[in-house]
This record gives sequence, structure tokens and C-alpha cells, in this order.
Amino acid sequence: MKHVMGRLYTSQLWRSMFRHGLPDSNRTRAETIFYNFFLHIHPTKVRKRSLRYTYTWGLGGLSFGLFIVLTVTGGLLMLYYRPSVPQAYWDMKDLQFVVSSGQFLRNMHRWAAHAMVAMVFLHMLRVFYTGSYRPPKEFNWAVGVLLLVLTILLSYTGYLLPWDQLAFWGISVGTNMARAIPFGLGEKMSFLLLGGNIVGENALVRFYVLHCFILPVAGCVLMGIHFWRVRKDGGV
Amino acid sequence: MKKLRLTFAISSLTFLVMLAISPLKDFFREWKWYQYEYNELVSDLPQRVKPAEIGIKQLWIQKLDRIDRCVTCHLGLNEPALREAKQPFRTHPKIDHDYEDFGCTACHEGQGSATTYRESVGKVVFWDKPVFPTEFMEASCAKCHKEREVPHAPILTLGRKLIEEANCIACHQMNGFEKQWTPSLDGIGSKVNRTWLVNWLKHPKAYFGKTKMPNFLLTDEEAGILTDYLMTFKSFPNNAALDGLPPALASEEERAKLLELGSTRFREARCISCHPINGRGGYVASDLGKVASKATAEWLYGYIKNPKRLQPGVEMPRYRFNDMELAAVVAYIQSEYVDYETAELPELPPQIPNPAYFEQGQALFKKYNCSGCHELGGMKKAEEMGPELKFIGGKKLYEIDFGSSNIEQTLPSYLVTKIKNPRVFSPVMKMPSYEFTNEEAQAITVAMLGNTDERIPEELKVYPKPQSTYSPQGEFGTLVEDLACFGCHTMFGRGRLVATDLTLEASQAQKGWISGYFKIPYSLRPILTERMPNLFASDAEIKVMVDYMEKVFIADSLERNIRAGRDEISKGRILYYEKHGCQACHQINLKGGYVGPALDNVGSRLKPGWIFHWLKNPQAFKPESIEPNNNLTDEEAEALTAFLMSLK
Repeated sequence: MKHVMGRLYTSQLWRSMFRHGLPDSNRTRAETIFYNFFLHIHPTKVRKRSLRYTYTWGLGGLSFGLFIVLTVTGGLLMLYYRPSVPQAYWDMKDLQFVVSSGQFLRNMHRWAAHAMVAMVFLHMLRVFYTGSYRPPKEFNWAVGVLLLVLTILLSYTGYLLPWDQLAFWGISVGTNMARAIPFGLGEKMSFLLLGGNIVGENALVRFYVLHCFILPVAGCVLMGIHFWRVRKDGGV
Repeated sequence: MKKLRLTFAISSLTFLVMLAISPLKDFFREWKWYQYEYNELVSDLPQRVKPAEIGIKQLWIQKLDRIDRCVTCHLGLNEPALREAKQPFRTHPKIDHDYEDFGCTACHEGQGSATTYRESVGKVVFWDKPVFPTEFMEASCAKCHKEREVPHAPILTLGRKLIEEANCIACHQMNGFEKQWTPSLDGIGSKVNRTWLVNWLKHPKAYFGKTKMPNFLLTDEEAGILTDYLMTFKSFPNNAALDGLPPALASEEERAKLLELGSTRFREARCISCHPINGRGGYVASDLGKVASKATAEWLYGYIKNPKRLQPGVEMPRYRFNDMELAAVVAYIQSEYVDYETAELPELPPQIPNPAYFEQGQALFKKYNCSGCHELGGMKKAEEMGPELKFIGGKKLYEIDFGSSNIEQTLPSYLVTKIKNPRVFSPVMKMPSYEFTNEEAQAITVAMLGNTDERIPEELKVYPKPQSTYSPQGEFGTLVEDLACFGCHTMFGRGRLVATDLTLEASQAQKGWISGYFKIPYSLRPILTERMPNLFASDAEIKVMVDYMEKVFIADSLERNIRAGRDEISKGRILYYEKHGCQACHQINLKGGYVGPALDNVGSRLKPGWIFHWLKNPQAFKPESIEPNNNLTDEEAEALTAFLMSLK
């Protein structure tokens, strides 16, 4: 066994992935952390009190967990959903009536989305009450606020996709609110969001792209920064 | 820490169980049980019926852009062996449309994409069109069938007829209906008395049960003001005026002398062919039972003398009475057709002079859109008075105001309630009450529900035949207009069918018989109420009409010479009495049945070519005829014709 493992650790395939040797010295131990994408986020040290569950309530982690649930269910939903006016509503109905566990997927995506908004918000409250936004962590607070905005935007753009009356009027009201932006920017903003003057095919495609690509990618980048900072500041 | 782990363990287990429930639920879906049940049912049948393959089934109707999954559970639709099985497995009743071509929801509505009972019936939130109850099913026929009489859809056909007759389009925009003729109100002040008009406005059906005029539910004050307003319109259309009474009608004694002549002429003119008397008689025109308490003698005299002068467009013939006969008929009407109930009541006191009555009356006239139906003083019809109803069948539930009523909140129940009781949802509504029965309200609802903006491919739609443009010219044309022939007869697709279609009249009847018939009309079937009136036309006029008919109302293809030797006649007699037993329905010399017309003297009435072709295929000429088609050979038909032509 030992012989086999030894062969493996010295094979070219293994060495191409892990350049350092086994963590048997301080140098290789450090390299194990630094050269690994997943491990390099670890802080150099963690304070014992910040490990206490009631200190963070795990709200950030829960939010991230929900984000993963949403990504997985969302990806599966994308297999059945076409963002076009004649089909969107019926694709949703097909998910409900025909696709195996389709209704379960939809419900999971929907409830996870609601829960994520709640979790992110609670997370922000917790950060506020524990004073974790104070220097030197102001930047991460700002990133967190952006993440909250992204979460709400994701929730809002997903609202249009079922293409029912609720969706149509929800988005009509929302974009009309955007129209109230002063300095003549309102009309432009609303036009940019809808790809036109009314909620139609263009708006559906725009919201779909925002919901499934632009906002999640932006979220991932910001989350990367957010988690990096949290860990380097000694959080979990 | 231990407690935390325990919590974690328990919640993990809970989530795992929840995750397991979902695929289970998916595995045991409602439709699967139906399919298992169907297969069990089918295996118990004595006949061999193919069991269903387990899985969702659907009909994709591309032309109607519909996907219907109803057939997932309705598995026996095409299976004659399941005619009496329980639902959802029962065979579909036989109809002209194959469900595989049209799908289910195109006619039944409901949510076609659904695969559960509750969702597919569609009485759920976010679904506007639940499955039609049986009594409103025919509304779906109307989506494609725009013709007047829809085959196998009696309720829809009745509804369309009622909508047209009630002249709904006077206030509501709707496609496919023609505006009805309604009398002009110009001159009403010289025609009727005030008491009658007040009572009429308050409740038209109390005077004439079958009137098309609805009840506008006016208050006493409104009725009084509107009457005062209407009574000021004394002059008739085109400035026609009444001539005043002839001396023969001036006094009671003079009138009494005329009564007998008047009664005879009234009967000969067959007024009751069109006019009912206290509810009995024809249905084309208004009731005469109490007309003497409604209209003035001057008006009756002037109107019967020349109906179209006082009421342009009315379909009443101008009888060729001389002045004496005319006076006699008016005297008879005045003595006979009095409303004894109101005659004994004191005359309604005139309205307390209200200086603003004209403006207020005019405002009422406009408020209720009276000019939608009636002409008055050149006033224009109000535009878009009531809501447009072109697409009422597609109305969404959230667009309907049910007011404080507690009826079932569906479109059909809204419409039925509204039609029966027009102001129930809000007292400010102005629609009058037509006093429809439940069946009528249902029929109208069915016709209205069919008015949708659903996109139906043009090739599936069935339109009514275009209106006939036949309009006879010359002397005959003038006579047809003056004698209002189209009021009862159809010619080349134009006119009513109270009486016969005259399009082939000259191919059917002999010239001499037609001339004689104008002089002394009699009924071929005495049980009918509607009979040809004696118009008292002159010989010259009759000649014009008969000559025209001989030229125009004839088809050369129906000419045929029949050999009528003794042999043929006796052969025909045998066929008549023995082989085909015609005497079962027809009489000759008072012997035989009375289902069909008597055949005495038929040889001097009909033309041989007509008899021959009729016998070969009666339904070719009259689709609703109940005479059997006996598949006669030419030889047989000729012999029968020879026999019938010998009955002179």
C-alpha cells in the first residue's frame, strides 16, 4: 500500500497538480496551503472566540449554501425554460405538470431565493450589531452591501421569468420606479433595463441574461473578495 | 457542542426525509393511478381493448396552438366498448369533429397542459377559463361557426336569434348581427294617446307580451316627462300629415252601419296572419287586441290607407281598399279592439306643466339611448352607448365588477345574471330589462361567450352566406315594395320565411292557378295561422306579378313533358294507392291522411315537371320536408305524375 501511494505521489500526473512534496517540513506545509486554490483562503490564525457558533450564527455560510442550492436548481431549470414570450409561461407549466420533480425544482429554487434574501439581510444585521464593520473591515462591509444589492436584484430579475400577470406587473411597476430617477436619466435607465418602452420580449431576454449570467458572475467575483477578506481578517 | 451536533443531526435527517418525499410524490402521480385503474377496467371487459401504456399522453393541435394532456386520463375516448364506463374513461359522444383534430380545450376549455384533475378542470387561481359547464358548451362552436344557424347547436342558434331580435347592437358593438327595423317615433304625438304612452313606457310587455321593446324601469315621474316630450312630436317622417277622418267615421251611428263590412274585410285581409289579437295569431307584427285604446282613428285610417307614408320601411302591405272599405275596417277596429280595463279607468291627469319638460325629456331620451332603435326628429344615434361586446367571451375575471352580488364568480354566471336582471350589479347601470326566461338568458350567454378574440385559422371558420342582393325592378318591384311581399316570402335568398319561398314558384304552380290564388287565397294546410291575405289587388296588378313570375321565378331544368295516356294514369293510380300508400298522408276526395296537403285538383295547380322532380327527391327542394324519398325510377315518377295531373 505504502509502495503504491509512494508511486502515486511521485507520478508525473500527481506532480503536475501538486508541485510541493508531502507536508513533512514547515516549508512544504506552507506550500501546501499557498499553492492550493481552495486552501490558500485559510487565515494564518483564527481566534478561538470567533469559532463560537453564536458569534456568527453561521449566517454568511448559510447564505452561501443557499447560493449553491440556487445555482444547482437554477442550472437544472435552465434546461427546461426558454426565455421567449410564447414559450416562457408554458415551459413553467410544463415544469409543473410534466417534468419529473419539476415542481420540486421550482419550489426549491423559489424558497431558497426567499430564504437567501432573508439570510443575507440577517447576516448584515449580525455584522452591524457585532460591530464587525469597524476599521479595518470597512471595505468588506462595502462589498457585503453590494452583495446584498446583488441578492435583491437576482431575486427581482427572477420575478419576471415565469411571465405571468404577477411578473408582468411587478416588472412594470419596478421599471416605472426607475423612470423616476431625476436629471433625465429615468427614461434612459428604464429603456436600458427593458430593451424598449414596455415589458416585452426584449425585457424578458434581458432579465434572463441578468438573472442567469451577469448577476451571478458579479456575485461570484464579489463573494470571492468577500470571503478572502473575511478569512484574512481571522473570521471563519 | 454536543447539543449543537444533535441539532445538526436531527435537521440533516429531516431534510433527507423531505428530499426523499419529493421523488416519491413524483413517482406516484395522480394520472398514473388513473392509468392503472383503466388497465384494470379494460382487462375485465369481455371485448378486447388495448391497455394504455403508462405515461403522459398529449394531443398537439398545431393549427389551434394548443397542447391538451386530457387524454392522459381520458383513455377510452375512442373505445366504443366503454360507452357506459365511468369517467374519465367513457367514450366521447359522437360529434362531427374528431377530437384528435381539434383537441379538447378548443371546445371544452380548462387547462389543457395540466396533469391533475383539479388543475385541468381549471377552477384554480391564475386560470381564467375553467371547463365549460354542459349548458354553455355550445359557446365554443361559435368561435368558428359564424353562420346564422349552427348545425347541432340549438342553444347557440337560439341565442343568436334572440340577440338579433332584441336589437342588442343598437347599444352594443357586436359582429355578425343586423340592425332590426324599428318604428320611427316621428308623429307619435298624433298617433297615440297620452295614457297609453305612459303605461307603455312603464311596462311595454303589459300591452303586448311579445314586443321587442324592453322595460327601462322608469319611475312614474320619468315616464311622465318622457311622454310629455314625445307627445310634442306631431309631424310624421318626410312631413307627411294626417288627412282627418272621412264623414263616414264622424259619428257613432255612421260607424255602426259599417261594422259588418269592416268585419268581413278584416277577416278577408287576414290581418291575423301577421298581427296577433290579444296574444293569438301571427308573430310578425304588433298586437291589435287593444289598438283602439292606443292609436287615434285618424292615424288608423291614414296608416291602413298607406302604411309606408306614415311609417317608412314598415313591412305592411298597402291593401287596395276603397274609401268605404277603409272606413269600415277602421270602424270595426275601433268598436272591437278596445282595452276595456283602461277604458274604464279615468284618464291620467296631464303632467303638471313642468317648464323644463322638453329638456328633461330629451335628456332621458338620450340617457337611455332611445335613438339606438328609434328615429326621432333626425336625432343621431349615440355612439358606443353600452360596452363593446365583440370579444366579451374572452373577458378576464379581474375585469368584471361583480358588485355586491354573491353569485358564483365566473363569466357565464355573470352574463346570465346580467341579462336576466340588468341593473343588479350597480344601480347606475342603464340597460333595460328584457324579461328573458332562464332558457333565453342562457342561450344569449352562450352566443356571447362565443365572441372571443381567440386566433382561429381562417380556413376553420364558417361564415354566413352573403346577403342576397336581389331587388326586383320595374312595375313588379314597385308592387313587391308596396305589398311588402318580403315580409313573408323569400325570393332568391331575400326575405322572411313565414310563407313559401317563391324562387321557383312558376316552375311549381300553373299560371292560371297563381292568378286565381291572388283573387281568393286559400290555405293548402288549413291548420296554419299565417295565411296569404287577400290584398284586393287589381287584375292589371295581378297580371304584372304573374307575368314577372313566369319569366323569373322559373328554372328550365325543371321542365318535363309527361306522357299522360290512360295506361300511365292507371299505372300511377296503382303506385299511389298500393305500392307507395300515398293516401296515408294525402287526401283525395276527403279520403286519406292530413299530414301532407290535400291533392284534389292538384292537376290544375302544379306543373308536371315539378311533380316529377319533387317525387324523385323532395328534400332537394325543401330540406325540412318529411315526405319520404322513395327512390322512384323515372318510369314510376312519370306514372305517378300522370296520375296526379289527371286530378283536375
